[in-house]
Amino acid sequence: MNIYLLCLVLFCIGLYCVLRKRNIIKIIVGLIIAEYAVNLFFVLVGYRMEGRAPIFSPDATIANMVDELPQALVLTSIVIGLATTALLVAIAMRIYQKYGTFDITKIKELKG
Amino acid sequence: MSKELEKGMSVIVKTVTRLTVGLILLYGIYILSHGHLSPGGGFAGGVIIALSFVHLMLAYGKETALKKLPKQATSFFESMGALMFLSIALLGFMGGHFFLNFISKGKPFNLFSAGIIPLCNIAISLKVGAGLFAIFIALVLLKFDSEKKR
Repeated sequence: MNIYLLCLVLFCIGLYCVLRKRNIIKIIVGLIIAEYAVNLFFVLVGYRMEGRAPIFSPDATIANMVDELPQALVLTSIVIGLATTALLVAIAMRIYQKYGTFDITKIKELKG
Repeated sequence: MSKELEKGMSVIVKTVTRLTVGLILLYGIYILSHGHLSPGGGFAGGVIIALSFVHLMLAYGKETALKKLPKQATSFFESMGALMFLSIALLGFMGGHFFLNFISKGKPFNLFSAGIIPLCNIAISLKVGAGLFAIFIALVLLKFDSEKKR
């Protein structure tokens, strides 16, 4: 149970970053931290004590493997996270081009 | 030669890059080709292959990396990956249905086994590697108006 709470702490660090920081790059880093906290939580849900990786090899017994469904889900989630991060960075670069700053409090006026 | 040295990072970074970039590429190909036997596969191998080119671009500047893998070639490989995956899936109709494993399976746990799955891994790695490098190129080559005026 403790380890799930640590996951929640990591997620809250990311949430704090998103809500409190003013630099867009720091907000993006906070989003990535929150996303990885969720990924870590999913992998931990599927973990079994003393379990081994769910890969079939010639000299291995089938017994006592960790749950492989959350791992497949997290793999997909990592791919989507990569694409969204690239999109966020591109949008941040466009904002810098338009306003000349990364500070969200200075991005006020609409310039056409 | 002196003009070549000015671009990119310092001599230390360039030397280490020259020594390691081939190993990174080979490691990506290893992960890719053993995808049906061990952890890894198309996505992970493709990402590592793309990272070797990104490494080259970070250390030597964009001209050197774009000489090795031009923009048009990146675009071509990305489209090629998607078409290859689709054509492998469609070739299954020769035997009956979609995604049919029509090549002989071979012995389990051999490198050449599992039918079409290594071919699918190669197609996915082409798509992912070229796509990731194309994203990086697009972010690097993005020119701002203020830079253009200078």
